[in-house]
Amino acid sequence: MSDRSQLLDAGRPFAFDETREAEFTRLEPRYPERDSLIMPALWLVQEQQGWISREAMEYVAERTGAYHAQVFELATFYTMYHLRPPGKHHICICRTLSCYLREKQLLVDWLAANLDLVPGAVTEDGRFSLEEVECLGHCGSAPVVQVDGVFYEDMDEEKLGALIEDLRSEAI
Amino acid sequence: MSEKVTLSVNGHEVRVAAGANLIDALEAVGIDIPHFCYHPALGADGNCRMCLVEIEDGRPPIVPACKTPAAEGMKVVLESEKIKKIQRDILEMELINHPVDCPVCDQAGECTLQDYYMKFDLGDSRMDVAQVKKDKRLDFGGGVVHDQERCVLCGRCVRFTRQITKTGELGIVNRADQARVAIFPGKPLNNRYALNVVELCPVGAMTSRDFRFKQRVWFLKKTPGVCHGCATGCSITIDHHREKYKDARIYRYRARHNPLINGYFICDDGRLSYHLENENRLETPLVKGVPVTPTEALDAVRTHLGQAKYPLVVVSPDCSLEQLYAAQMFCLEHGAKVSGYSAAAIVAGDGDDYLIKDDKAANRPSLNLLGIDTSREYLREALGHADLVITLNNDPFTDGADADLSEMMKGITTIACATHHCEFFDNADIVLPIASYSEYAGSVINSDGVLQRFGRAVVKNRPVPELLELLHALGGPVADMGAAWAGMRTAVAPLGAVDPDKIGEHGMRLEGL
Repeated sequence: MSDRSQLLDAGRPFAFDETREAEFTRLEPRYPERDSLIMPALWLVQEQQGWISREAMEYVAERTGAYHAQVFELATFYTMYHLRPPGKHHICICRTLSCYLREKQLLVDWLAANLDLVPGAVTEDGRFSLEEVECLGHCGSAPVVQVDGVFYEDMDEEKLGALIEDLRSEAI
Repeated sequence: MSEKVTLSVNGHEVRVAAGANLIDALEAVGIDIPHFCYHPALGADGNCRMCLVEIEDGRPPIVPACKTPAAEGMKVVLESEKIKKIQRDILEMELINHPVDCPVCDQAGECTLQDYYMKFDLGDSRMDVAQVKKDKRLDFGGGVVHDQERCVLCGRCVRFTRQITKTGELGIVNRADQARVAIFPGKPLNNRYALNVVELCPVGAMTSRDFRFKQRVWFLKKTPGVCHGCATGCSITIDHHREKYKDARIYRYRARHNPLINGYFICDDGRLSYHLENENRLETPLVKGVPVTPTEALDAVRTHLGQAKYPLVVVSPDCSLEQLYAAQMFCLEHGAKVSGYSAAAIVAGDGDDYLIKDDKAANRPSLNLLGIDTSREYLREALGHADLVITLNNDPFTDGADADLSEMMKGITTIACATHHCEFFDNADIVLPIASYSEYAGSVINSDGVLQRFGRAVVKNRPVPELLELLHALGGPVADMGAAWAGMRTAVAPLGAVDPDKIGEHGMRLEGL
């Protein structure tokens, strides 16, 4: 996992749109502990904006009444929250024990060599973004790669290459 | 907590408070269980795992001591091979990415990680991969500088801002080996107790901009004291030192635990108020602005005292109880009036509901206890016909609201016995420097009626006299602390039963104030 604590500014204030406002209002009474609202609120931000900016975190803190630092903690802890605008295809490579021992590093290195893509970054053409994440729960078929929420198990460089080629052949 | 239970530690029986967690319970009988994250004011968090102990009674064999209440018959094992292995493993983990920059770290000498390494580990590093780099010298605001690489992620600072100040500026961001303490961008520490995180930090991750690189802690002499920053009178430790070829000075104040007053913490204003003890001090006696010897100055004062028909003494509510009593007796001896008016020490609206009080005087209740008048009317009345004013470190005349008093002072001979330079003291006819509260022993009563005693911390190269000595030298009847207490115990009812030598480190609540 890379350092996710350098937050990115969107350069504009954030506010829920009508749909998310309605959803947030619906969720509110379900969380008597308002701190617990932070995570669903962050999901709503990501749904609306595609990623979570510094301004959006401030907005979530204000809406939930939580400390800014609490929102900061949760948003940086969970790699499912995008703290940068992701690429068209978001690639997650598991870095926890089983995948680590089964040489997930070869996959990371392959992406660096072939797509010039390092964890936490997006390719220049905006097609791919990469994040190293903690355990994805498929240790039995390590190493595991997740692309746009779909699991690819028992990965190696060849399979990864084929997968990328497939995705690349799509029209932008 | 008075109920006791018997339990065994490494096979030896001890009697400890029932219900207290094992760290606190055993600490009370002199047995230390190593820990990073637990702090009695912040509760058990259980994240550092350093306090794991074995309990031989069928429960899960290893438990965190901070979360385990002491119970009758419990068999606690602190020194098994299994526990020692855990302690070594945790220290090895904490040290994987630690910079081990002890030679330049302010915490060295009072660092839990350093102490535990020396006590439990002493292992060489087995790491042959690159260390995780994090940020250093982060300005967290409030005078706190953070080094993420030294941090052990115990979370004490984070819990302090959430539980005690309820400002929540700090958080632990990222996860795993990238986890670090951070502030939200643009939201620095913004509370008046922020520097407590420096003291809470078990390692050198939180440092004080004020103290950084100023002094190695093993050179510091640590004397118990009482903060004179406001009427709360928090218990403090005065850390002072005389560097070679220099004068003794104070390097920092730290909170001293006192369950009657401040718990484990003090405010930042109080913590930094030591600067006032070091700076802007009066050192040389002056007569009409001309430096003189102490003997010449005393002779000049005696001459004035002999001639004055209506002397008036103005005492400060920061003077110690003993000094105030000595001043009162001095006034009786010389037929002088005594006033304790000092409205300037009150900063309305500055206090909060925690430790900070509006009243910035440390010992105002003593004025009332001794029956020294503090009203403006009395002082105004006395000034009306006074021909000599002796101020004992009090200046009620310069404050804008009291301009009429300063007008009345014109033409009256003024003697200032004072600790610090200020316009009024500097322009007095005679100026006698006196010791400030870190340089004498005494007692003060805080706004809740808690009487605390403190010893002399700093001895300057050229000490100036303490007020009590000075008043005695000028013909006051109270010769020393012992005489002051003998007199007060007879004359002042609430002090009748107080044995000054048995006041104790936490002070005592006075009845009948």
